[in-house]
Amino acid sequence: MPAAVVPDLNTSLPTQHTLIPFLQSQSQNTLTRLYQKPSSCLAIFRLLAPLERQLVMNLLWLESAIPVATMAAWVARDGKKLYDAAVVNLGNLHILPSSMVKLALNSTFKTSFRHAITGGGTSGSFGVPVEKDDKRPALDLGALDSYALERWETILHYMVSSGSGQYPSKPSQGVLYLLQRSGLMANIHGALQITSFGFQFLLNSPHEQLWNLLLQYLHMAEERQMDLVEVLSFLFMLSTMELGREYSTEHLSETQKAMLEDLRDYGLIWQRKPNSRRFNPTRLATTLTSSSPPLPTSTTTSSGPAEGFIILETNYRLYAYTDNPLQTAVLNLFVTLKYRFPNLVVGTITRDSVKKALQSGISSDQIISYLSTHAHPQMRKNNPLLPVTVQDQIRLWELEKNRLKSQEGYLYTAFASQADYELVLNYAKQLNTVLWENTAKRCFFGSLDGHANIRGFIERRTGATG
Amino acid sequence: MRAIKGVLLQCDPAVKQILLAMNEKQSFIIEELDDYHLVIKADEEYRIRRELEAELEKNTYSLEGS
Amino acid sequence: MSSARPAQAVATDKPSHLSVIVDLSPSQWHLSSQPPPANTFPLTLNSFLSQLLAFLNSHIASKHENTLAVFGAFPGKSLMLYASTESETINPSAVDANSYPPFKMLDSTIIKRIENELDQLDTEEGIPVALVGALTKALCYINRISHFSAANVSKAKLPDSLTISDPHILILSVSPDLSAEYIPIMNSIFSAQKLRVTIDVCKIYGTETVFLQQAAHLTGGSYISLERRDALLQYLTMAFLSPPSIRKALSVPTQDKIDFRAACFCHKKIIDIGFVCSVCLSIFCQPVPVCSTCRTKFPIKILQRLNASRPPPTPLRNGLSRTTSMSGTGGLPHSGSIRTSSSNGTLR
Repeated sequence: MPAAVVPDLNTSLPTQHTLIPFLQSQSQNTLTRLYQKPSSCLAIFRLLAPLERQLVMNLLWLESAIPVATMAAWVARDGKKLYDAAVVNLGNLHILPSSMVKLALNSTFKTSFRHAITGGGTSGSFGVPVEKDDKRPALDLGALDSYALERWETILHYMVSSGSGQYPSKPSQGVLYLLQRSGLMANIHGALQITSFGFQFLLNSPHEQLWNLLLQYLHMAEERQMDLVEVLSFLFMLSTMELGREYSTEHLSETQKAMLEDLRDYGLIWQRKPNSRRFNPTRLATTLTSSSPPLPTSTTTSSGPAEGFIILETNYRLYAYTDNPLQTAVLNLFVTLKYRFPNLVVGTITRDSVKKALQSGISSDQIISYLSTHAHPQMRKNNPLLPVTVQDQIRLWELEKNRLKSQEGYLYTAFASQADYELVLNYAKQLNTVLWENTAKRCFFGSLDGHANIRGFIERRTGATG
Repeated sequence: MRAIKGVLLQCDPAVKQILLAMNEKQSFIIEELDDYHLVIKADEEYRIRRELEAELEKNTYSLEGS
Repeated sequence: MSSARPAQAVATDKPSHLSVIVDLSPSQWHLSSQPPPANTFPLTLNSFLSQLLAFLNSHIASKHENTLAVFGAFPGKSLMLYASTESETINPSAVDANSYPPFKMLDSTIIKRIENELDQLDTEEGIPVALVGALTKALCYINRISHFSAANVSKAKLPDSLTISDPHILILSVSPDLSAEYIPIMNSIFSAQKLRVTIDVCKIYGTETVFLQQAAHLTGGSYISLERRDALLQYLTMAFLSPPSIRKALSVPTQDKIDFRAACFCHKKIIDIGFVCSVCLSIFCQPVPVCSTCRTKFPIKILQRLNASRPPPTPLRNGLSRTTSMSGTGGLPHSGSIRTSSSNGTLR
């Protein structure tokens, strides 16, 4: 998980890529095996923070280790915190084994990365290209993009419509299993429904969404007995491939060949037939380690998935300039839609629509941040971005749900004396089980799990005093 | 001394009064603790929540059909 | 899972643009590759180019969206050798599984073009390299792509995280100063300041160039004179690879003493005492009745009186005229005096 710290030039730490903590949790052995492939080194290098990248480059071409003090002498006073954080991060990734005395790159990483920069080595880790086959031509760039978009939106649309089947096609079983395992959808009343987690997922940019899904896939890979290094190196190899070029599947390992089907489902690669011996990476794959938009901005008059299209007025009316069925379905989760035009959807945020959303686990914060993220550029003239009245009202509607709070437990009353009462009360307080107390009435309310202890305590006391 | 099993409800005074009125028809309150807390029978909690929500809905006005 | 603030995740990690200007004067490179005792560390053009290509690959490796442009300064002409925005698609036979395709294309394009140009050169000696021409072309290119990306951001076609920020230019020089180039270089420096472009200079061989020192100083870049030419790649990586935003954290060596001499506008001589027009600040080595740039008339009698009372030039040190460097201790900065900036801040 990226650190939820707002990046602020030099003083605070930049946010990390989602994959980094996962990599840091792997063993040194796994990472070293991963670093044997130059393409993996290159992909991981691109996921690092800028200062970490510079540190790696500084040490890359050196043959011997340099003293820690020498490197520290290059750091300006302002950058000390950033520098220390960078060294720690690199140490956790086993790229820069931590040491108090000398600094040197992990030798496997160093060798492979040098190969990556200068070209060389024999691992074939950048993907083996094949000549174009004129008899069976592959898709052109536009068709590849729309294929990737269609696959990706199928998944998202399934999540949003909660499996009610309004969208023509359904994602494959593998994808459904992944959605369920990752907590994005849950099996409620026999059907898959989107969870609060899932809605937060929909809020994110396509890059974050993609990496979240892949992270889940990686977690699952360990359980499915797939070699994690193979899976990761295939993903990294995909990220270095060129869009529009075909690659051969002959040199992939068994694990990697098994991944082909899953990657097809997520829209990362295209294959003519399931057992075809060549594949094409799509834009989703080639932009894995970059921040360019992974999905093409649509060619219609509406803006693409990454830009703002929502206008929210103080009378709770909402105008969304989109024709994308996915975005309309997301809006339908918390807005009562009134009219649909070819390029515009009009609706109102009502108490009922928000309560319906709150019931399915979406929080008011999520709704508000979705609206802010996708606000139309014209809305940026307003300060604050969304009308304060509407924001407050959405939060109030959420608070309405919480008027009554309940907790199970036991009421302890009718104590013989004040001393008895205080004794038992103090004991219960030590166990942190007191939910409510009243000295005047000599009673208190303790939680359910503490009851057994309190009863035992009282029985020992009454037993002792006879 | 006695230990009574129940559910502790925490709410604002207005909701408490509504619950007291509901209690007249069908008793479920074990003890009134103070202005903000009540102890009720454990199995009644779900029914109470639904009735309370229905009661509160009568107070709200929504601009439907426009 | 992930934070609900996706846009800020790349706020501090914007792509950067690097323009490299390579001085390819055949005569100077020939001198540079002479074995000892002529040079303590000889550097041939081939060795230089291979290290340069590794450096360029590192720049592209840092971020998928980093852009690069390479300009070559040849005797009498300059041209663009490579630009990442105008790359052609490579033929399939050139791609192999062991190299990252953009690197391979970058390397082969640059080498091929340099070879073509050098083959076509006349054997006529003495024509200086068109360094300033290359510098101007680089600035124009940066201006063009900055406008392009800014226009796209405002039309909301490009997310804000992909705007070009911190463009920087690196000049790899082996030739000496040309006093005729003073005015064009100063104009380029001013345009660079306006575009907020940082100019770095790496002096690989040859005498110190005062104009390039001033260029680096005025735009906030660094000027490095190589002592160990065999460690060129390490110098390039540590000093010039980082975009200016990182340089605040990991400091980069700059000069303490800068030679601020100028060239006069009339004869293009490098001088340290001269006459300056009070209107347009043009520099002349001798009094003139009318400023050639702004046509202001000067009272000639007063000027002649001033000229007569001009102090005679002091005895020269190192065979060069007296300098007016910032620290006032005189003498051209020797490469040994370039120190890494201490944490007290650099002298900029």
